Amino acid sequence: MRATPAMHHLRPRYWIGILISLLAYTGVLTGAAAAHPHVWVTMQTELLFATDGAVTGVRHNWTFDDMYSAFATTGLAAKTKGQFTREELQPLAKVNVESLRDYAFFTYARINGKRQKDAFNDPVDYWLDYDRKSKVLILHFTLPFKNPLPVKQLLIEVYDPEFFVDFGPAEKNPVRLVDAPPQCTVTVEKPPDENFVVSSQSLSQLFTSEANVGIGTSFSNKILLKCP
Amino acid sequence: MPVTVRDDNRHRRWALLAILILAVMVIGTHSAWAQFGSGMRPPAVGGVAGWVLAKQAAFYIELAAMIRSAKVDGSALWGLMGVSFLYGIFHAAGPGHGKAVISSYLLANDETWRRGVTLSFASAVMQSLTAISIVGIAAVLLGATAKLMGDTVKVIEIVSYALIVLLGARLLWVKGYGFFGALNKLRTDSASHAVGLETHGDANCGHAHGDTNCVHHSHNNARGFRCDQVHDADRMSQHDGHYCHDNHHHDEELDVLPWGHAHSPEPDELAGPGGWHRGLSAVVAVGLRPCSGAIIVLVFALAQGLFWAGMASTFVMGLGTAITVGTIATLTVSAKTLAKRVAHRSTGYGGVLLRGVEFGAAGLVFAFGILLLTGYMASERMGLF
Repeated sequence: MRATPAMHHLRPRYWIGILISLLAYTGVLTGAAAAHPHVWVTMQTELLFATDGAVTGVRHNWTFDDMYSAFATTGLAAKTKGQFTREELQPLAKVNVESLRDYAFFTYARINGKRQKDAFNDPVDYWLDYDRKSKVLILHFTLPFKNPLPVKQLLIEVYDPEFFVDFGPAEKNPVRLVDAPPQCTVTVEKPPDENFVVSSQSLSQLFTSEANVGIGTSFSNKILLKCP
Repeated sequence: MPVTVRDDNRHRRWALLAILILAVMVIGTHSAWAQFGSGMRPPAVGGVAGWVLAKQAAFYIELAAMIRSAKVDGSALWGLMGVSFLYGIFHAAGPGHGKAVISSYLLANDETWRRGVTLSFASAVMQSLTAISIVGIAAVLLGATAKLMGDTVKVIEIVSYALIVLLGARLLWVKGYGFFGALNKLRTDSASHAVGLETHGDANCGHAHGDTNCVHHSHNNARGFRCDQVHDADRMSQHDGHYCHDNHHHDEELDVLPWGHAHSPEPDELAGPGGWHRGLSAVVAVGLRPCSGAIIVLVFALAQGLFWAGMASTFVMGLGTAITVGTIATLTVSAKTLAKRVAHRSTGYGGVLLRGVEFGAAGLVFAFGILLLTGYMASERMGLF
């Protein structure tokens, strides 16, 4: 066969070429998976206790960034321009907490090291505030535990697996214990690389102090409660 | 014939390689959505992907800052345009900009790199237009809420994904014909094949084309399996670059690398046989779905009373996006051209392999559509609420 010698002669080089192309193609598809955050949330978390020392729930106070707040409030009717009352925002708050169910409220619980699936009941006591000065929305809601139990160790993780929302703890009072037994202590661990975390009022400040924005291995915020 | 025995062995080797390559593609595609599927773990992002992600986030943050300052300082608008452009370039690396669909589409079809770039630009422009239309009509004219806009985008999304499924199904049908036809022919016709090769070795078949490249995809014609032989006569009489061009429906056209012996394109050559409408399905399927970032930026600009600046920013973003997608499209077409060279040099088996790759790419388009439609593969989220 005439073509055979040519084939033997040329094959390795072209195979390497094809292989590289395929790897590049795979790389393109794999790289396509990651989305950057579009929403920034500064969180203040409260852990609620019953009188018997059982943890009854998690109260979230989430401050959104001003861009997303502008987006979320589009088309909302307000009596005073540029100001929204709690009542005016209540329908939006309802939509918010209902939509958050699809994302498991971005809240994952681990009791004594064991991951709790479906740990929370539907949110209660929810409302939205609008900070007129910084033009941001603050969402408050409480996630009640299905089975409130006294725990030795509780880990609450807050993150968006898709990283569309970037959660970060507030600088002041990131976490608070409400009616906790005296021996309980709590710590907050920010994501190892906190560069994505931005306080809602200063998105631009982050950029100017940019340094090495964001190559993190995990964007999870860890709230660790210990009641020995 | 002793040749036949050796051919059988080689046949098996080629088949093995085809399977290997498809496996690589499937694994690649799988890992693309695997991290969304798990849902329980924060993504691990490092290396180049992490860097691109970090740049996107930084430019997105800067976009917001520029719009904020543009409200009081008009000169910030120039900065806004610059940042929008850079954001577009980096952001297109993220999901939802049709890189995967367009690349697979190009891989499945014989397209020139120029057409790849044209398709990328057209879909980016369309994406900008959708975003502006949605915000312009819903928020500016109708005073709609974010939720209503989100719901609108969800409907558009479903239409867009359904179109990708249809596009994939059509490609699968056409490319399946080509692949199984070539396979069939190889099995039944290996002796006459060697003779055929000598006929094809000449310059008439243009740049580096194996004979099986000229298999046609007539939908209702059994000749489709064997028409490369029939077309030998046609080809002899056609030297206009669109060899194999006849009144059958088909997808072949002259292919050139972006370097080397590229000649300046004629408009109708850019359109290719079948005209502009042929690529339009891909453009619409990809471009229909707006970019969530663009919508949020537009609404934010609107809130600052700078909607027109938001519009300009969206178009500049689209330009940046098109550059990235166009680059990837060019790489894809180049890889295909390279593969064709191999196919040409290594007898008819390479042609079958090439058909297999095309068939696989068509399958990928179809799979993307299905996965997006069923929610297994997440595209960029529209909003929380």
